[in-house]
Amino acid sequence: MYQRSLLLLLCLMLAACSNTPAPLAPLPAPAPLDDWERIVADARGQTVNWYMWGGSESINSYVDQFYGTALQERYGITLNRVPVSDAVLAVDQLLSEKEAGIDPGSIDLIWINGENFASLKQADMLYGGWNQKLPNSVLVDYTNPALIYDFGVPIETFESPWSSAQFQFIYDSARTDPADLPRSYAALLEYACANQGRFTYIAPGPGAFQGTRFVKGALFELSGGAEQWRNFDQAQWEQWSPQLWAYLNELKPCLWRTGSAYPATEYELHGLFANREVDYSITQSVTGAGALIAEGAVPETARAFVFNDYMIGDYNYVAIPRNAPNRAAALVLANLLLEPEFQAAQILPENGFGLGYGIDVRKVTDEQDRATLEAAMDRLGAPATPPAELLAALVPDAAPEYQSLIEEGWRENVLIGN
Amino acid sequence: MQRGAVGCIWLYALASVLLPLGLFGLHALGPRWFFPALLPDSLSLEPLLALIGNPRTQAALGLSAQVALLVTGLAVLIGYPAARALTFAPLVGRGVILAVLFLPTVIPPIAIGIGLNSLMLQLGLAGTLIGVCIVHLIPVLPYVILTLSSMLSRYDRHYEEQAQVLGAGAWQVWWLVTLPMSLPALAVAALFAFLISWSEYLFTALIGGGRVITLPVLLFALVAGGNPTTLAGVALLIVAVPMLAILLASRLLGGGPQVVGVR
Repeated sequence: MYQRSLLLLLCLMLAACSNTPAPLAPLPAPAPLDDWERIVADARGQTVNWYMWGGSESINSYVDQFYGTALQERYGITLNRVPVSDAVLAVDQLLSEKEAGIDPGSIDLIWINGENFASLKQADMLYGGWNQKLPNSVLVDYTNPALIYDFGVPIETFESPWSSAQFQFIYDSARTDPADLPRSYAALLEYACANQGRFTYIAPGPGAFQGTRFVKGALFELSGGAEQWRNFDQAQWEQWSPQLWAYLNELKPCLWRTGSAYPATEYELHGLFANREVDYSITQSVTGAGALIAEGAVPETARAFVFNDYMIGDYNYVAIPRNAPNRAAALVLANLLLEPEFQAAQILPENGFGLGYGIDVRKVTDEQDRATLEAAMDRLGAPATPPAELLAALVPDAAPEYQSLIEEGWRENVLIGN
Repeated sequence: MQRGAVGCIWLYALASVLLPLGLFGLHALGPRWFFPALLPDSLSLEPLLALIGNPRTQAALGLSAQVALLVTGLAVLIGYPAARALTFAPLVGRGVILAVLFLPTVIPPIAIGIGLNSLMLQLGLAGTLIGVCIVHLIPVLPYVILTLSSMLSRYDRHYEEQAQVLGAGAWQVWWLVTLPMSLPALAVAALFAFLISWSEYLFTALIGGGRVITLPVLLFALVAGGNPTTLAGVALLIVAVPMLAILLASRLLGGGPQVVGVR
């Protein structure tokens, strides 16, 4: 009797397995990209599945409160923000969907840049042709090389910007006199070795671009410029990389835990900094330490500073997968992100996002919008680096080929070697 | 002797549960608690209340409960007949069946998870609640079946026969004899099923594909950001429910040890 019921169960399970899903009804043709009104009409009632890094509760609530509410009230779109611990999970998801031939898939929009964008573009998993068709794309400077290259990869028509970021350091004004701050990599080496164990940086590697960026800055300073790294040149890399490893290895014994361990993420470094294990942290936020203070991640006396040069700045973007189930809603959301009122809201630390403008304020013609955007910049206050200092130190990123050379080279020559 | 043992248990409880939980509590209630402050400057319920009031947290809590309860129900429904069959039926190769059943607990879950994900994608179950529940059964069932078959190996079926002899129908035997005698083991098995499903992250993240956001999925996403206040709050929430389940189960089991079959 038991055998029979077991057999029956097995049969049932097999039957359930062989039951292939019913073919989907053919979808109506999507609205042409030139017909924005029809896109908005199509998007009504859709749910947009936005996959994004979910590590910061303040960013999460900013997204829900600002975009979630506006999407619902103005466009009748429901925002489903899907938090992932790393954007690479969304990339993996898309690649498995591609392999299994799933269309429509599950992701409508991804917050993305760098290596993840490069892999999706290479896998031909991105929907194209749309970014400059968004009504608000007139506010974006699509001639700015820092914007149209994402970690050196041309964005073409596959990505639309959301915000911008620039490499900065953070110090605690209650502990460190601003006059003592190092203003170059050479001065940093001196500082670190005079204050044993009081400095560390994020381990460069996939998913930890802040660490890679710290190393790139050193490369720029050693070689005397950022400009020559815009295009890939193997000979040039071989000329300068030994000096880069020499610099980092000279720094290594002076680091926190004598360079035997490095924080893996920006937030680990913030934790070390907030608990006074090290003197400096690293951020990419236009608010400097402001957003981190608001979030409670660092003390209220934290302030941002930059070196005199070689502080890499860039943009981050949203992309729409080729198999997005709610493309119209994704387009509406990508356009909403560029709306001047939300651009102004996103930089204010109290709102919890704290990254810079994705649009170019000079392209905003509406007087009131422009005033709002400029006023927001003025409200960043003491925890932020003054805009003039940021601009003076701003350099674009190096060509993408250097990314993995630096990450692998660092691992071999600095982390393991020596 | 007895007192010493009780003392040891309390010490263990203190070191393994109460101290870490206390630390979590301080972190959850005291934002901006940095070295060298021995204790947070001020304690406030605000961050915890904000977390609990957040609709995302509530949705994740509800979904976690839904998944865990569904998996518990399914696991007991499948596990009990399976355990009976494995114990009493004249099966050939019982050892092989048990070995196959326990294989998933030995193989790294990521290896199983990736294979299951592509299977679930093909079946159209990836990203659905039911797909996640089915996949949860894989780590859950071995423990449920093991618990139930260890009870059944000491289970005296003569009680059932006795009842039959006395004129009870199949349903009456089940309701009046089998169920009461199996209840403690069923409760323990259900508790295991609930606890394993409740804390499952990897399978949920892989098969859920980001659309089934349970509390552990929420927690892992937040770990990437490392804000101690939020992390501690979500962690406490995750721990609270199993604590309640264990309390409930120990209530149901009457606290003391019971000899199966003697009631």
